[in-house]
Amino acid sequence: MKDCLLCGAGLRNEMPLGDLIRLTPLRKRTICEPCSAAFSPLESFPTCSGCGRKRTKEMPDPCYDCQRWEKDSQFKFINTALFEYNPAMKDYMKRYKFAGDYRLRQVFSERIHEQLRKQSAIIVPVPVGADTMATRGFNQVTGLLESDRYLELLNVRLDKKTIRQSEKNRQDRLMLGQPFEMMAPEKNQIKNQAVLLVDDVYTTGTTIRHAAALLLQAGAASVRGLTLAR
Amino acid sequence: MINDISELYGRQIPQRDLAASLQRAVDIHLRPAISHDHGLVCQRCGSKLRRSLASLPNHHFYCYVCIQMGRVDTLSPLAYMEEPNRFSDNQSPLSWLGQLTELQTECANKVIEVFQRRQHHLLWAVTGAGKTEMLFKGISWAVANGLRVGIASPRVDVCIELFPRIQAAFNQVSMVLLHGKSEQRYQYSQITICTTHQLLRFYHAFDVLIIDEVDVFPYSGNPMLHYGVQNAIKPAGAMLYLTATPDQALFKAISRKKLSVSYLPIRYHGHYLPEISVIRVKNLAQQIQTSKLPKQILRIIAELVAEKQRFLLFVPHIKDLTRVADAIKNAGIMAKFETVFSADPDRLEKVALMRKRQLDFLITTTILERGVTFPGIDVLVLKADNDIFSAAALVQIAGRVGRNTDRPTGQVLFYCEVKTPNIKSCDRQIKLMNRKAAKL
Repeated sequence: MKDCLLCGAGLRNEMPLGDLIRLTPLRKRTICEPCSAAFSPLESFPTCSGCGRKRTKEMPDPCYDCQRWEKDSQFKFINTALFEYNPAMKDYMKRYKFAGDYRLRQVFSERIHEQLRKQSAIIVPVPVGADTMATRGFNQVTGLLESDRYLELLNVRLDKKTIRQSEKNRQDRLMLGQPFEMMAPEKNQIKNQAVLLVDDVYTTGTTIRHAAALLLQAGAASVRGLTLAR
Repeated sequence: MINDISELYGRQIPQRDLAASLQRAVDIHLRPAISHDHGLVCQRCGSKLRRSLASLPNHHFYCYVCIQMGRVDTLSPLAYMEEPNRFSDNQSPLSWLGQLTELQTECANKVIEVFQRRQHHLLWAVTGAGKTEMLFKGISWAVANGLRVGIASPRVDVCIELFPRIQAAFNQVSMVLLHGKSEQRYQYSQITICTTHQLLRFYHAFDVLIIDEVDVFPYSGNPMLHYGVQNAIKPAGAMLYLTATPDQALFKAISRKKLSVSYLPIRYHGHYLPEISVIRVKNLAQQIQTSKLPKQILRIIAELVAEKQRFLLFVPHIKDLTRVADAIKNAGIMAKFETVFSADPDRLEKVALMRKRQLDFLITTTILERGVTFPGIDVLVLKADNDIFSAAALVQIAGRVGRNTDRPTGQVLFYCEVKTPNIKSCDRQIKLMNRKAAKL
């Protein structure tokens, strides 16, 4: 008998009725029913067509944040999110990412795999920096992708201030604050290809849009986003 | 982040948590946080780790067992600095002016002897015997001799209640209180009061280590916390266990002569332990399940509230709390009360309200069975025949009553459907101690 990864309660042969009726393969249970119920899947709600957030009645589609993005940026970016960033998700991130409990990747890796199975686009995880890798020891995004094929095409730039201001052209200035760089030898792999960027949380959208801009610049035909939470 | 080298004295902290300026200090010893020799073993908590669960990418490992204390892993060794006993000289640190009874004095002298000879000892004293006061002379001797003292308990409530009392008794001695919910920053102190979990961060720190309420969850039967205690004490340190209800593990250690024992069967005020009244009620569990209480119980509660006699109402399970609370509200009893359980985010505040006499009663799980004193209360136990209530738990619960000289007696009412072996054993233990007390 296994224990719930989140609360340690014994996992008896709990199986929701839905799992019995569904034709898809059974999902391995890693957490108990009460812990599972605390997360809020976004598939059952109306969501923003831009960032994937849960849309309330008053909210336009796309939401105001996404309308602002559309005005300011030169490309259209669409993100899908699987869960609402609610207190349970916040607590999960705290334990998985910040406390570094790598086992907890299994709480969502199957759900993500289910989402990505039919995906034909090239899957690219958002990277973590070398300092995070040295202390945390893992990239929380690739942890979630353990059952999927992905290409690590991006790096976190070591030093953002290597280029002097005067040396920047317009393109460079657009890239101002760009935290990422392409891994040089992999550049050609995405030429004219559809790319799906994966990250753990979409908060302001800045991070994932920086990554998307870079991939488009490198020749990707299209870039969409998938995040665990929004 | 460790910014001052003194924060590393007698402690084990992942090296990455040291400020850059300390990383190269010469006296810092480093050892791997996880050993590979015979399988993976966490060097902080002693747990054997399963490779598949402990794996990080790139052939690194972490400990998933003690991760709630901050992660240790193969990416960063544990840094440790030998305990230097660097405390200011204080030849008479005890500021407590109270008096001990003759019997308490005997135990207190034994405690000094245990500390002086660096023995391992159990002080088995009934609930309300005045265990804390019996420690004062021993702690005073240890502090005067420049020793480092640790007082740990498995229960955070016990630590929180202990800290102000120890602080008042040693008001010139540096002291720190550590537990998972505290905001207080760690600082090197001569006296450390903490939960047994916090001991995992110490290494060969304490010359004298006292474990209060040693027989209780989560310490009892928890190899990780036992390992932590063995690591936290200096190799030739003195260890003193305290409890009113020793468990089998302690009796075993005594019979194997690994532990000496002294025994105090009478309370500090000289009165006997309150004996229990067992009241059998039909269909009690069923009624509680439907948020009802038998009339006789409601009547008692209403009477106690009317008389302003404060009390604790124990229930076996968290889910019973709201049911019983609803039953009391629905019966129209006007009273100020709260419910508390271990994971209750407001638990400490609610207990503080009760202590400040701003509540008539608390409905609680076994979390308040011990280590807490509310002067002059009664206790009621609902479903005392439930398995949750071990004989030790029932003895401890009964021991909340009559602890104060102003009201050395009180009611202990156990409501149940059947008189279980645990209830009988509790009854026997209390009567036995009272008989022993009578012979003194």
